[in-house]
Amino acid sequence: MIGLESSPSRLDPRYATDANSVRVGALVFNSLMRADENSQFRPELAERWEASDDRTYLFHLRKGVTFHNGKPLTATDIKYTYDSVLDPASRSPKRGPLQVIEAVEALGTHLVRFRLAAPHAPFLENATLGIVPAGSAPGPGVERNLVGSGPFTLVEHAPGDKVILKANPAYWEGPPSIPGIVFRIVPDAIVRVLEFKKGTVDFVQNDIEPDMLPWLERHTDAAFKIHQGTTFQYIGMKVDHPILRIREVRQAIAHAVDREAVIRHLLKGLGTPATGLLSPAHWAYEPHVPQYRFDPEQAKRLLDKAGFPDPDGDGPLPRFKLSYKTTTLDLRRRIAEAFKEHLSRVGIELEIRTYEWGTFYEDIKNGNFHLYSLAWVGVTDPDIYYNLFHSVSVPPNGDNRGRYNNPAIDALLEKGRTSLVLAERKRLYSQVQQTLARDLPYIPLWWAKNVVVMNPRIRGFIPYPDGELISLKRVSFSAAKPLA
Amino acid sequence: MKRYLLHRLLLFFPSLLGVLTLVFFFIHFVPGDPVEVMLGETASASDKEALRRQLGLNEPVWTQYLGFLKGLAVGDLGRSLYHQEKVMDLVLARFPATLELTLAAMAVATLCALPLGVLAAWKRRTWVDRCALLLSLFGLAMPNFWLGPLLIIAFSIQLGLLPVSGRGGLSHLILPSLTLGTAMAALLTRMIRSSLLEVIHEDYIQSARAKGLSEITVWLKHALRNSLLPVTTILGLQFGSLLAGSVITETIFTWPGIGRLTIQAIQTRDYPLVQGCVLVIAVCYLVVNLFTDILYRVIDPRISYGK
Repeated sequence: MIGLESSPSRLDPRYATDANSVRVGALVFNSLMRADENSQFRPELAERWEASDDRTYLFHLRKGVTFHNGKPLTATDIKYTYDSVLDPASRSPKRGPLQVIEAVEALGTHLVRFRLAAPHAPFLENATLGIVPAGSAPGPGVERNLVGSGPFTLVEHAPGDKVILKANPAYWEGPPSIPGIVFRIVPDAIVRVLEFKKGTVDFVQNDIEPDMLPWLERHTDAAFKIHQGTTFQYIGMKVDHPILRIREVRQAIAHAVDREAVIRHLLKGLGTPATGLLSPAHWAYEPHVPQYRFDPEQAKRLLDKAGFPDPDGDGPLPRFKLSYKTTTLDLRRRIAEAFKEHLSRVGIELEIRTYEWGTFYEDIKNGNFHLYSLAWVGVTDPDIYYNLFHSVSVPPNGDNRGRYNNPAIDALLEKGRTSLVLAERKRLYSQVQQTLARDLPYIPLWWAKNVVVMNPRIRGFIPYPDGELISLKRVSFSAAKPLA
Repeated sequence: MKRYLLHRLLLFFPSLLGVLTLVFFFIHFVPGDPVEVMLGETASASDKEALRRQLGLNEPVWTQYLGFLKGLAVGDLGRSLYHQEKVMDLVLARFPATLELTLAAMAVATLCALPLGVLAAWKRRTWVDRCALLLSLFGLAMPNFWLGPLLIIAFSIQLGLLPVSGRGGLSHLILPSLTLGTAMAALLTRMIRSSLLEVIHEDYIQSARAKGLSEITVWLKHALRNSLLPVTTILGLQFGSLLAGSVITETIFTWPGIGRLTIQAIQTRDYPLVQGCVLVIAVCYLVVNLFTDILYRVIDPRISYGK
């Protein structure tokens, strides 16, 4: 029994975009490739793959794989799944990233060829799409009859209530050790903890407030697994704003924010100060970038230099005012209050504006903000920088919400997208990280730690940095409670 | 009576249309984009535009409103933008859970308030009265988000008698209905008490006493029935409030009802689903109000509804 805060929206892998849909779906559907616990792509349905040139990829499929309905999985199913996403009528949210694919061809029962419109280094990320049997019409009503080839079969999906999975006895890697999984949607944070205490929930990942962990430690025999995740929290800034366009101002804000205090007191240590979007576990991570330690005096000097002297020294008048947008979630509001206090010490008055998610997100997308804070979850390929900082990626064409524009970064990101040599890409993205750390369109805050609270009898769970639950296919329950 | 009912029925539809129209324009003018929710951040601008056209979201709001009315006239509320299921199916799947919870909360409130209110009035200015008033004060002051977890800790965790959350048999219904019904029970207790105290000095009560009827008969048969008129009004109004306002209780107890569905629909800017949820809640509210008016006549046959 697993407790989730929110309901998976759609489990069909062609439509699943929210984290819970992706995580639950990965237990029902296999894909050609899958990221392992070190975020490296490994073949799953593919036995092996090769690139015959920079635009052509061949996948040799594993033999003997069957769908839950007993039908063998073949190249036709792969072609069908990708074609059905690429069909504009599908309205699939996955269509955008896959549009680089020109054609998918079934060359035999167990051989598939992907032809790309242009060289595209992050292509393997596109090979993680869950595969459905040929003929599985997308659309309403099919959610109940979804069939995959994964370790669990879907028994029931009651949106807002629960998802029931049953072990697939014919799974090609061998059947799972547990008979099934029930994902229960428990939206209230306190009730999730109480369900765990009562023993009606065995496993919760990240959906427990930091404040409640000490209580769980004292009052239950829960096993805790705390490990570094890749979720990146940042402060985004509108870099074409008359004040924020000055780099020294952005750097001053970075120096003024006491991230470590926020991590220690509000996150209860469940975060690591971040230097940038990519975490140290990532192959392209560049550690040698400018960093901004908590230093209010340096922040004041930078603001003076930028032409914003404090009008009355330690008096009440600020150097300037900015707004900070965030959601109505309690923790987010408390973090905002801490930032307000930190910035007031260097003479910046921060006005906090909280909104429910829909309004907040619309404002951010439309560039209607000065400062805001959000997180990026599940970062795999560094090509994400293109979406975040290339000048063509200003919404609605991408997520460059702060309107950052740097031709040097644009050129690096274009090269990084098409270069297929890993060492070359590493060099390019190293330069990207150094430039961004200097220009600061984002102020890096922290990489969140993943927290798993589980029944101490559960054995074999391997945490993934992006919070994937795929290792549940190998977990078992020990017969007795372990000795303390 | 017939004319009155006809008059109320004629008002029913304009009222419903008014509510739906207000909600339609409110939800459309609140910032937020359902296409962004459906296609995600990575969709191209042209795909988003195409979907917007396909869903008719690029049309002026007035045109969309007329389209909505046309659908409504033939009973078609459209498909949920987020779930891609028929709105009516989604709403009807969740509605029984909310109705069950609301009715149980009403039952809890009435069963607690009736004896407590009568007792408080009967034993006015004694410790029984003061206890009842204090209890009702607590009931009114306790917010659901606090009372719910408190009841779970007591009855589910400490005593182990009841499940923590979820919908199932009767055992699952007890704590949510207590949580939802407590404030209403408190309000009703005070209403019944004050209403009884008003009628107990009326002439007809003195006549009943003079006829030699026992004090219990006087209170329960003569006073209580006449004091129920204002209480019925509150019950009717509260039913609607409970139905629409059960979202906090539904969230605490993981109750798969219409309140949570409405909040989720608003957050994802799922316009058709918001309309569907509001339609069901508004219809219930109006029907209950109509029913309350009819009940007045049953309780007090002297009431006349015009010529």
